[in-house]
Amino acid sequence: MAYAYLFKYIIIGDTGVGKSCLLLQFTDKRFQPVHDLTIGVEFGARMITIDGKQIKLQIWDTAGQESFRSITRSYYRGAAGALLVYDITRRDTFNHLTTWLEDARQHSNSNMVIMLIGNKSDLESRREVKKEEGEAFAREHGLIFMETSAKTASNVEEAFINTAKEIYEKIQEGVFDINNEVRHTSLCFSFLLKPLHSSSVPVFPLFLLSVVFQQCVWFATLPLS
Amino acid sequence: MNFFRGVMGGQAAGPQPSGAETIQKLCDRVASSTLLEDRRDAVRALKSLSKKYRMEVGTQAMEHLINILQTDRSDSEILGYALDTLYNLICNDEEEEQDESEDAVTPIPASGKHKNVSMPDEAMQKQSDDLGAQFTEQFIQDPEHITLILSLLEEFDFHVRWPGVKLLTALLKNQGVQVQGIILVSPMGVSRLMDLLADSREVIRNDGLLLLQQLTKSNAAIQKIVAFESAFERLLDIITEEGSSDGGIVVEDCLLLLLNLLKNNSSNQNFFKEGSYIQRMKPWFEVGDDNSGWSAQKVTNLHLMLQLVRVMVSPVNSPGASASCQKSMYQCGLLQQLCTILMATGVPADILTETINTVSEVIRGSQVNQDYFASVNAPSNPPRPAIVVLLMSMVNERQPFVLRCAVLYCFQCFLYKNQKGQGEIVATLLPSTIDANSISAGQLLCGGLFSADSLSNWCASVALAHALQDNLTQKEQLLRVQLATSLGKPPVSLLQQCTNILSQGDKIARRGSKVQTRVGLLMLLCTWINNCPIAVTHFLHNQENVPFLTAQISENLGEDERLVQGLCALLLGICIFYNDNSLENYTKDKLKQLIEKRIGKENFVEKLGFITKHELYSRAAQKPQPVFLSPEQMLFDHEFTKLVKELEGVITKAVHKSSEDEKKEEDVKKTLEQHDNIVMQYKDLIREQDTQIQELKEQVATMTSQSEQMQTTVTQQLSQIQQHKDQYNIIKLKLGKDSQSQANSQADSQVNGLQTEELSQLREDLEKLRQQHTLLQAQLSDKDALINTLRSETAEGSAASDNTEMLKELDALRSQVHSQATEIDQMKTERQELLRKAEAASSEAVSSSDGSLDAAKMAEVESRLAAQTSETERLKEESKSLSKSRVDLDQQLAAATSTAAILQTEKAQLQTEVQESKKEQDDLLMLLADQDQKIHSLKQKLKALGEPVDDEDDLDARDQTDDDEEDDDEDED
Ligand SMILES: Nc1nc2c(ncn2[C@@H]2O[C@H](COP(=O)(O)OP(=O)(O)O)[C@@H](O)[C@H]2O)c(=O)[nH]1
Ligand SMILES: [Mg+2]
Repeated sequence: MAYAYLFKYIIIGDTGVGKSCLLLQFTDKRFQPVHDLTIGVEFGARMITIDGKQIKLQIWDTAGQESFRSITRSYYRGAAGALLVYDITRRDTFNHLTTWLEDARQHSNSNMVIMLIGNKSDLESRREVKKEEGEAFAREHGLIFMETSAKTASNVEEAFINTAKEIYEKIQEGVFDINNEVRHTSLCFSFLLKPLHSSSVPVFPLFLLSVVFQQCVWFATLPLS
Repeated sequence: MNFFRGVMGGQAAGPQPSGAETIQKLCDRVASSTLLEDRRDAVRALKSLSKKYRMEVGTQAMEHLINILQTDRSDSEILGYALDTLYNLICNDEEEEQDESEDAVTPIPASGKHKNVSMPDEAMQKQSDDLGAQFTEQFIQDPEHITLILSLLEEFDFHVRWPGVKLLTALLKNQGVQVQGIILVSPMGVSRLMDLLADSREVIRNDGLLLLQQLTKSNAAIQKIVAFESAFERLLDIITEEGSSDGGIVVEDCLLLLLNLLKNNSSNQNFFKEGSYIQRMKPWFEVGDDNSGWSAQKVTNLHLMLQLVRVMVSPVNSPGASASCQKSMYQCGLLQQLCTILMATGVPADILTETINTVSEVIRGSQVNQDYFASVNAPSNPPRPAIVVLLMSMVNERQPFVLRCAVLYCFQCFLYKNQKGQGEIVATLLPSTIDANSISAGQLLCGGLFSADSLSNWCASVALAHALQDNLTQKEQLLRVQLATSLGKPPVSLLQQCTNILSQGDKIARRGSKVQTRVGLLMLLCTWINNCPIAVTHFLHNQENVPFLTAQISENLGEDERLVQGLCALLLGICIFYNDNSLENYTKDKLKQLIEKRIGKENFVEKLGFITKHELYSRAAQKPQPVFLSPEQMLFDHEFTKLVKELEGVITKAVHKSSEDEKKEEDVKKTLEQHDNIVMQYKDLIREQDTQIQELKEQVATMTSQSEQMQTTVTQQLSQIQQHKDQYNIIKLKLGKDSQSQANSQADSQVNGLQTEELSQLREDLEKLRQQHTLLQAQLSDKDALINTLRSETAEGSAASDNTEMLKELDALRSQVHSQATEIDQMKTERQELLRKAEAASSEAVSSSDGSLDAAKMAEVESRLAAQTSETERLKEESKSLSKSRVDLDQQLAAATSTAAILQTEKAQLQTEVQESKKEQDDLLMLLADQDQKIHSLKQKLKALGEPVDDEDDLDARDQTDDDEEDDDEDED
């Protein structure tokens, strides 16, 4: 499958807010009520279409625990988009957003598009963080915002796609340079490579068949009882 | 320089300073000299001594060297010497390239991965390893030192970056886990190292590859970061640039790194697949047909490339992951390319073997790929199916052992979960499809079964067993196959021929191990008759088979034969377990009795246990690929180990059980099944209820929070009302006081006066109304009482009433209610007016402060002005407080309005009550009229009878004033 662009995303946020479930919902269109704790980082991918162009999304789902922070930091640099997730039924996850954002801003490309996601919108009765608070936080920090539910799939598709749209626009505006891969071809040190061994290894002919066959005659037999 | 010459030429005559002393002096200079040049020379000297006096330099100079790295950041030369020295201390590999004359400023770089040229003896190597480990330990005691090296790697200068890369590689080699840990937690540590692959100087890029190999060794977290940093893209690019399999050691290094990244890392495998990198592997295998010479490097490269393919489709991966990789390998033509190599000529044997293994795993369990594989033909004349060609090699003694194993594996993978393929193979043995002119798979397998080579026997047995695995149809089909061993003799079934070889095996001279042949055939027989009662019957039908088995099991044979005994026990066990009792002589019971008599239950079970206790059993159980250290070890098949695991327990039980037990058990089984069903139903029910409970719980939670919210709203409103009340009271008090002290500002007094007046008026009105209300209520109760008396009177049968009066009264009441309502309305409008007046007054109050001036009498004017100003001030103040009180009044008025509304509803209620009582009264009136009529007629009768009758009889004319109610409370809030 050919694609016009390839975007790398990372998903960050406290543990238990539903990052892995969001990814699973997006890539596999299913919800897993009991999800394994993410160790380090897990990978997922999907193709989407924007503006008639095929775009491949490569998504790295990170572990939220403090002990994995230093590992997950390594993923900021190469990412074009980040989904910063909190759980609308747990205020502490909302309170930690500032720390996450600082971390992301410090280690990422300044053009990284960050989408703030208030997840578990299906649990309205247990809501601790108002939608307006999420909106206000996003406005204040220049993020896009959405409330989603990995369980009912509400807005999940939109969250990933809108992030891609934002990145796509940035590319159109020339803010991002996708082709920053540098080619390094230099022959000046090629003499340093180990010399090639040119001695040939023996070659076995495979099909010298000499099976001594016993004479076997097959009889027509009656079908089994 | 002279100084160093002295040091170096240690053997020269005269008292020379010891190595340690010299090194100490150099260290002092490194530490204390203020001249950079001086320090640089000293470090260079240390470097040149660091090999010969590794121990001394390491113990004495390490700290100083690290200091240099930290403080002399601006001089790349000294940094380079220091890094080189540290490398010499830490690295354990003897390197051939180091031409360590002290003048050698630029060492000749070389790829760091070298097979040792001059192999030091073991003791020396050990000592060297110890030193390396010790110095590494010392160096990484402070994790900052690793971070320091990482930051030095950002230095572009070749003299710094290159030794930095080598040093870090050596550190990783010695203390991998710890150094990996430090790099992992240092910000961008891994990413920075990934940048080495982008270095335009190939030495650094190549040594960067070696560094990354060490870095990614068994550390999934690092592997993932490296992959994230586009390692796949970079490495595949380098491989292509370097000529793919024709490339040199750099290609090999890239492949090794790729293997590190993908082996046992499902996340990276997924990334590799999703990144469409599988497609990029295809060209690797486009090796032409006329390969005259294969370099060792090419063999190595291709070997690693094949391994990479296998990593992606390994049977140990999750089935889903392997399946999707298998699919894309077919779709991009990689499988087809591999099959081309398979059929090509001139391919080195080990590459061919590994290609067969790779094809095996690419097709294993994937129907599409298996179908494709079945369709591949060898470019022979006439063309033959690849499967046939491969099987020829399997039963060919001249082929290398590993290759024969690989072919067997390929055949197994072809048949794995492939009922269609199994059918096709078995069909080549069936009468209707036999083509006498061409060699078929079935013929080859039979040839293998009956060949004089035990390895061929074994391989053919196992291969045929795989054609029957989990496939009842083919097990039954294969029973139809009959053979004629020699002319004139009656045909014998394939099944029987197998047992015949088993029992008469000794008569034929064989190459290889007899045990191997027998084990192979027994495995085939077990697989064949397992779970197939018809096959069991066929087997038992031959009178010689059971005695042969019992004889084998009961005999006391040597160590070699133990496995055969175990397998015979297994075969007999299957004959019991899957027996449909259709042969009278060999029913379950009879066979069990036989075991008890001839072998003994315990003995039988012990023999059965020989299988799993065999030393090679667990090895084979580990993975599907048949890998054996030597041909003699070729005894167990992976699939067969699964069968044993499944059957050992049940056969042991079956043998121990009596027939009654069995019946009982059957019954119990049935009940259990029923129980299970019931339990299942209950479980479903519980699950359903559980979800319901969950839903209800959520509902309750929502409701609770809602009710809480409401409660708080109510409390808030209550307190607000209380506040309003309090404010109103205060205002009332204030207004009272104000009206007393107001004489200065007319407008104000007017307003306030008017207000107080109105208010008192209102209050009076209300008071009146209240009184009226009480009155009305009293009247109402009177009326009630009256009605009651009337009722009782009516009951007594004597009553009369004044209907018209009552009706009038009711009318009056209604009009009263009406007028009171208008009154209330009036009061409301009055209040509104009051409000407006109050507003007007306040604006007047503000503007009415200007006095007039008399220009002639300045002093007077001035004083007046002063007075007026102060008065104005005061007035302003007053007006301010007034406007404040007005606001309060506003609120009060609003409250009053709402009270009025309440009153109105109350009124409406009362009206309906009146209506009701009126209706009651109407009823009563009707009753009364009736009674009246009766009384009248009675009176007439009495009169007619001559009795004296009073005209105004019984009727108690009560005082009937206006009644009904119109209560209006005036309450303030
Ligand atoms: N009700 C509900 N539960 C969710 C949702 N998303 C995740 N969860 C649950 O939250 C828990 C944590 O999810 P997980 O994806 O592992 O969180 P992570 O640590 O951020 O990856 C799991 O038990 C999920 O079932 C959602 O949108 N709605
Ligand atoms: Mg997770």
